[in-house]
Amino acid sequence: MNDTYKHNRSTIETAQHRIELADAQTSFNASSEQSVLVAMERAGQALIPVGCRGGGCGQCRIRILNGEYFSKRMSRAWVSPEEEAEGTVLACRVYARSDLTIEPDPPEVATSWSTVDRANP
Amino acid sequence: MKKGVMRPGHIQLRVLDMDEALQHYVDLMGLIEMDRDEQGRVYLKGWTEVDKYSVVLREADQPGVDFVGLKCLDEATLDRLNADLQAAGVATEEIAAGDLKECGRRIAFTIPTGHRLELFATKQQTGKWGVGNRNPEAWPRDLKGMKATRFDHCLLYGPDVPATVKLLTDVLGMDLAEQLVDPEGKQLAAFMTVSMKAHDLAFIEHPEPGKLHHASFYLDTWNDVLNAADLISMTDTSIDIGPTRHGLTHGQTIYFFDPSGNRNEVFAGGDYHYPDHEPVTWDSEQLGKAIFYHDRQLNERFMTVLT
Repeated sequence: MNDTYKHNRSTIETAQHRIELADAQTSFNASSEQSVLVAMERAGQALIPVGCRGGGCGQCRIRILNGEYFSKRMSRAWVSPEEEAEGTVLACRVYARSDLTIEPDPPEVATSWSTVDRANP
Repeated sequence: MKKGVMRPGHIQLRVLDMDEALQHYVDLMGLIEMDRDEQGRVYLKGWTEVDKYSVVLREADQPGVDFVGLKCLDEATLDRLNADLQAAGVATEEIAAGDLKECGRRIAFTIPTGHRLELFATKQQTGKWGVGNRNPEAWPRDLKGMKATRFDHCLLYGPDVPATVKLLTDVLGMDLAEQLVDPEGKQLAAFMTVSMKAHDLAFIEHPEPGKLHHASFYLDTWNDVLNAADLISMTDTSIDIGPTRHGLTHGQTIYFFDPSGNRNEVFAGGDYHYPDHEPVTWDSEQLGKAIFYHDRQLNERFMTVLT
């Protein structure tokens, strides 16, 4: 019930922004109160890899090519101050202030397990 | 406890925003704020823990783990283990008493996986929170959220798990309780204990050193794990996976993330270990079941989402 209420209220009170991928016809809506990553998840899309959702693991790194946004602190392991100034951010830590054009930029995380079959149903 | 190391006594975690971190660790998980220091660090513990604190939070621009402290029997044990570490070719550094509040001197060193461990023997004991140790009641009535009872263990990712296991076994007297091996017999995961717990420190082979997979806290029952899952949904906390059961250690578990992306676990149950037990071995062909016993399939996040 609470969620429904919050959802209705945010639809009424907060602006919806269009988040569009640079190289495809795909897009989703994000309110200015949801991180770009969570907005994508709620839209049922998988355009950006989802990791910790807290600015720590780097999986959801994107480049913002166009638009206004607000960002919260994110791990310097994945985004340097210079990169951040040029629009490289973690999608879980940015909030749209206008329509955005973005491009996923997930870091390569090597594992020691590449030869191991991970599923055994 | 063959060589006088008793338990993981504390873990220092880096967080991006202290206020958000405290909402998570105190209001949601139910840890107790015990103190703060002039560096801005905040000291927390689970209510059953007798020592003053077990979790130290430090605000920084990169989340993860600073160090894990192992509590030893006494100061003489510290001197002996310090000498043993040096004799094994491990460089050690003594940190003066008082650097962590109400904590004695610490012997710090780096293990092959790149993590900083430290040994200490003295920390102020404030007793279990909210109950005395004379005719104690069952539990304090004003606990918050998940009511996490104690910091239990952590899982660390880094290179050369076999060398790490050898060091912790030979020098610190830990036991290998459980392991995961590939078809060539190479150790990919190792669950180490100094107690009857299924793990006090766990390791998974990973090329990048010094990474944190999760810090784990103990709950009493499976129902408490389900309550924790409810609270995670109520608060829109970032979920990883669960509630489910691990094959390794057989604990009943849920994984989620703190607001800085450090993974947490709360769990109940699980196996026990005695020093005369042979290690339990899982084959990497059974990896999915070893990690997530019900899904029997490992998700990509388990291997790559780290701080």
